[in-house]
Amino acid sequence: MRTVNLESQKNGTMSKAKEKSAKKRVVEEDDDQIFQLPIFGKDEKKAGEEDDADLSDSEESVFSGLEDSGSDSHDEEEDAEEGDDEEDDDAVILDEILTKSRGVETATEPPATDKNTPTQPDVKTAPKQKRKMKKGEGVAMDDGGEKGLSTTRLGDEYEHDTSDEEDIRNTVGNIPMEWYQDYPHIGYNLDGKKIFKPIRNKDELDEFLDKMENPDYWRTVHDKTTASDIRLSDEQVDLVHRLQKGQFGDVNFNEYEPSVDFFTNEVMIHPVTNRPQDKRSFIPSLIEKEKVSKLVHAIKMGWIKPRKPKETTPQYYDLWAKEDPNAILGRHKMHVPAPKMRLPGHEESYNPPPEYLLTEEERMAWEQQDAEDRKLPFLPQKHSCLRAVPAFSRFIHERFERCLDLYLCPRQRKMRVNVNPEDLIPKLPKPKDLQPFPTTMSLVYIGHSSLVRSISASPTGQWLVSGSDDCTVRLWEVNTGRCMKTLEVGGAVKSVVWNPNPAVCLVAVCFESTVLLLNPGLGDRLVVSSTDQLITSYEPPEEDKEQAVTWALSEGPEHDNGHRLTLTHPKAVKQVVWHGKGDYLASVMPDNSSNLQVLIHQVSKRRTQNPFRKNKGLVQCVSFHPLRPYFFVATQRYVRVYNLIKQELTKKLMTNCKWISSMAIHPGGDNLICGSYDCRLAWFDLDLSTKPYKMLRHHKKALRGVAYHKHYPLFASGADDGSVIICHGMVYNDLLQNPLIVPVKVLKGHQITHDLGVLDVTFHPTQPWVFSSGADATIRLFT
Amino acid sequence: MSQLQTRFFTDNKKYSVDDVPFSIPAASEVQELSNVINKLLEAKNGSHSQIEFDFLVRGQFLRTSLSNHMEAEGISTEDVVEIEYVERFTAPQPEECMMHDDWISSVEADSEWILTGSYDKTARIWSLEGKAVMTVAGHTDVVKDVAWVRRDGLTSLLLTASLDQTILLWEWNSERNKLKARHCCRGHAGSVDTIEKMVGHGRRRWGGFTPLMTLSGHNEAVSSVLWLDSEEICSASWDHTIRLWDAETGSVKTTLTGSKVFNHISYSPLCRRLASGSTDRHVRLWDPRSKDGSLVLLSLTSHSGWVTAVKWAPSHEHQLVSGSLDNLVKLWDTRSCKTPLYDVSAHEDKVLCVDWTDSRVRHQHTSSLY
Repeated sequence: MRTVNLESQKNGTMSKAKEKSAKKRVVEEDDDQIFQLPIFGKDEKKAGEEDDADLSDSEESVFSGLEDSGSDSHDEEEDAEEGDDEEDDDAVILDEILTKSRGVETATEPPATDKNTPTQPDVKTAPKQKRKMKKGEGVAMDDGGEKGLSTTRLGDEYEHDTSDEEDIRNTVGNIPMEWYQDYPHIGYNLDGKKIFKPIRNKDELDEFLDKMENPDYWRTVHDKTTASDIRLSDEQVDLVHRLQKGQFGDVNFNEYEPSVDFFTNEVMIHPVTNRPQDKRSFIPSLIEKEKVSKLVHAIKMGWIKPRKPKETTPQYYDLWAKEDPNAILGRHKMHVPAPKMRLPGHEESYNPPPEYLLTEEERMAWEQQDAEDRKLPFLPQKHSCLRAVPAFSRFIHERFERCLDLYLCPRQRKMRVNVNPEDLIPKLPKPKDLQPFPTTMSLVYIGHSSLVRSISASPTGQWLVSGSDDCTVRLWEVNTGRCMKTLEVGGAVKSVVWNPNPAVCLVAVCFESTVLLLNPGLGDRLVVSSTDQLITSYEPPEEDKEQAVTWALSEGPEHDNGHRLTLTHPKAVKQVVWHGKGDYLASVMPDNSSNLQVLIHQVSKRRTQNPFRKNKGLVQCVSFHPLRPYFFVATQRYVRVYNLIKQELTKKLMTNCKWISSMAIHPGGDNLICGSYDCRLAWFDLDLSTKPYKMLRHHKKALRGVAYHKHYPLFASGADDGSVIICHGMVYNDLLQNPLIVPVKVLKGHQITHDLGVLDVTFHPTQPWVFSSGADATIRLFT
Repeated sequence: MSQLQTRFFTDNKKYSVDDVPFSIPAASEVQELSNVINKLLEAKNGSHSQIEFDFLVRGQFLRTSLSNHMEAEGISTEDVVEIEYVERFTAPQPEECMMHDDWISSVEADSEWILTGSYDKTARIWSLEGKAVMTVAGHTDVVKDVAWVRRDGLTSLLLTASLDQTILLWEWNSERNKLKARHCCRGHAGSVDTIEKMVGHGRRRWGGFTPLMTLSGHNEAVSSVLWLDSEEICSASWDHTIRLWDAETGSVKTTLTGSKVFNHISYSPLCRRLASGSTDRHVRLWDPRSKDGSLVLLSLTSHSGWVTAVKWAPSHEHQLVSGSLDNLVKLWDTRSCKTPLYDVSAHEDKVLCVDWTDSRVRHQHTSSLY
């Protein structure tokens, strides 16, 4: 430091003009030298030594720097320029370093030049030295974090403004040097004089020669701003290498210095601050109070149970629950545990009890058997000791079988539904609750001598008419069983029907090909006479139309017998049926080959018409709808419902029977039952479907007659097995409720004659009584 | 063998015994008890002849052994048992068989004469001995019911109702055996099934020549009518009701509702009970005065067919007779409701009507076998 001051003093004595600025710089240099980076340590010493040595020279160099550069150092500059051209690669990388280390380079140069030209360097190196110093300072500034510390220590941080630290040998600044390409100079020095380019540029040959000859060519860098070549020192090269490797430029910089805590970790007894405590720190918190009161309230209300005793019993779970298919814990609902193998029994013992050993015959039988049929898959054998037991030859096979069993085991669970057969029976009310219905036979009407084909009760329920194969029609008093009248007709009576109109006393009887209208003369005299009057009051129309049927009025003894009108049909008549009003009458002549099977007669006008043009099959029976103008025609398998007014087919009911025998319409008109010769009774709900709503097969033999009760929810069926079965058939007004059908009673009484039992059934019009006529020539009343 | 303390008593002074308790074997039955009484009477009266007795324990006839009966009735055997004894009602025997040509529909007995109606459209008057005295012919159809109206000395008034919807009033002089038709009552629309002392079947009450009033209310055929007294008429119908009518106003006073068709009813002024025979084989006893309607007092069940006729005994308040379509006539005592006193099984066909003469029964049956 003192040396520098001395130097500056010397400087001051030497150059008056530059004294002030030089002083300034010296101050700077003082600072720098204290905190000089270690790189420059050596240089510093050298520089110091040089300073001492070059004291006299520094003045000259200041004034005659240009001349020096122009004359003395042109060799080096040429070299540098050449190197510049050639080693562009290096130049790119080293560009920055150059600017910073220019001073260094120049500083390091002198020793070499010293050797070559001992006199000159004194002149030249002084200013360079100064510059170098500045440069070194700049480098230090750039490199170190300690720059901050150093500046603060000195106070004026702006003194080190980098804008002042430009290389002032050429004052053009940091401009592209190409701009001076066309000029003989490359810039201006501090005094404003031109810095001229070297007179002769290095050509390629020079460059090459230089490259070949100069051993330091590789470390020579061309400085464009001064157009000189600079040879890098070893330290600089080392620095370049370090920077290239990404290391710190400073060799002595320790990256891993031990850390020093900013604050101590020891707890100190005195507060850090002297601030008094807040008021809120010693006043109970309102928020906490609110929380606590909430908890207290919850505890009071029992929502929270404080200090709930921990469950001391350990919680177990059944690890093997899945093995039990019934356990709830089975994770998979469909888990099927592997079937367990049977444990070995005595027969598998090496020394089984003698009863397990097979006798000779059993052994033979075992060998004869199929492998699958064998009770045991092996033969029990006796060995004297365990040592004598041979290896089980089928072991692999057996294991394989087991694996196969497990593998092929059906893992699907079969859902077996255990149905109690009694649950399948629909819940029907007990017959006891469905009273009244006929239960016992009360009266037997005896008188006929042959099977009674048909019966019918009078609308009042006082009389009963029956037609028999003994060619008679009998009229009975219902409550005593007295036969009031016996009327001879000319053939076996197929059908008798009492006129349903209580104001008309007429019975339609059909035998052979005749339909006879009888006036039985029973009941109210007034009605009887008015009926007669009705028949006699008929006046034939003027023009007599040709009709299929001849109407004849009975006279003489026949009239006295009750015969009123005789309708002679072209064919045998099987059935007659009245319309509910009692004026119309339908007769059936079954004939498969003709369309003349059904005729509708009007008694008051003595008119007959054939409603059907086509033959749709053998007609079994017909019936009128009780309320609406519908007409039911039963053929062998179907029941057709015709609208008589619109004259069209309304419905066709499939009975699923082979041969319909009889049919009855519910008094409500919406239900129908069909009896068939194949022992079935089909109930149709006309609103529901054209298929039977219920099919009853409770008769053992062919059904011959079915009937509905007019008022009670009852229907009856008579069959060849001699029984009459009474069923409760409730029809509800509610359309959503299906009819309830409950068989309630089997009534027996008729003898089976010639394989025929009951031929016709009919209900009493007012009482829950049923009449049945049988092949045993009797009529029975069940009440 | 356990013994029972019993005390015997009777209403009949002729057969009274000392009022002292007797010790009787508990297993003794009617016959043994009867012997005991006879022995006692013989001891009292040497000329006493053997008589069959019947015994009542608390109003019920003894039909089994004494111990069984008391067990069934829940009577304590510790106390002294009071046993009433009555002379046994002897079994009825058919006395006369009066043959009609046709079914007999009805019978009405007087003290001297028996009137029958028949399906041969006639009614007949018989003497008690069974001799046909008079044939009443005039109807054009079956005679359904007959009735005596009154008798003034030798002249009698009688009624016949027929299926021809008429009722004829006849005057008959028994001495001269002359019959004179007095009136013909028409007005029914339907056969007249029953009459009872000036009352026609159905809904009409007759007085003189024209129907006085029509009692309408039944929905179905009226099977039987009778006078309870001079102001009340009772009618039974097939619509399962028995109705009591006020004869003056013609309005319904009470309706007794049963569950089955009523065929016949009978009223006893002695016990004030109504007996009905219906199609469900039961004879039922009703109290017509009771206000609570359809309460059956007693059901007598033994018949196996429709009960077509019931008749209270005119002189005995406990006895009635019933006829049924099962060919049986049964004599009942209301004190023995389980079984009838006697079955009269002389008929070979349906019994249609029964009646009493004093204490003897006449029953009609219908048979075409004659």
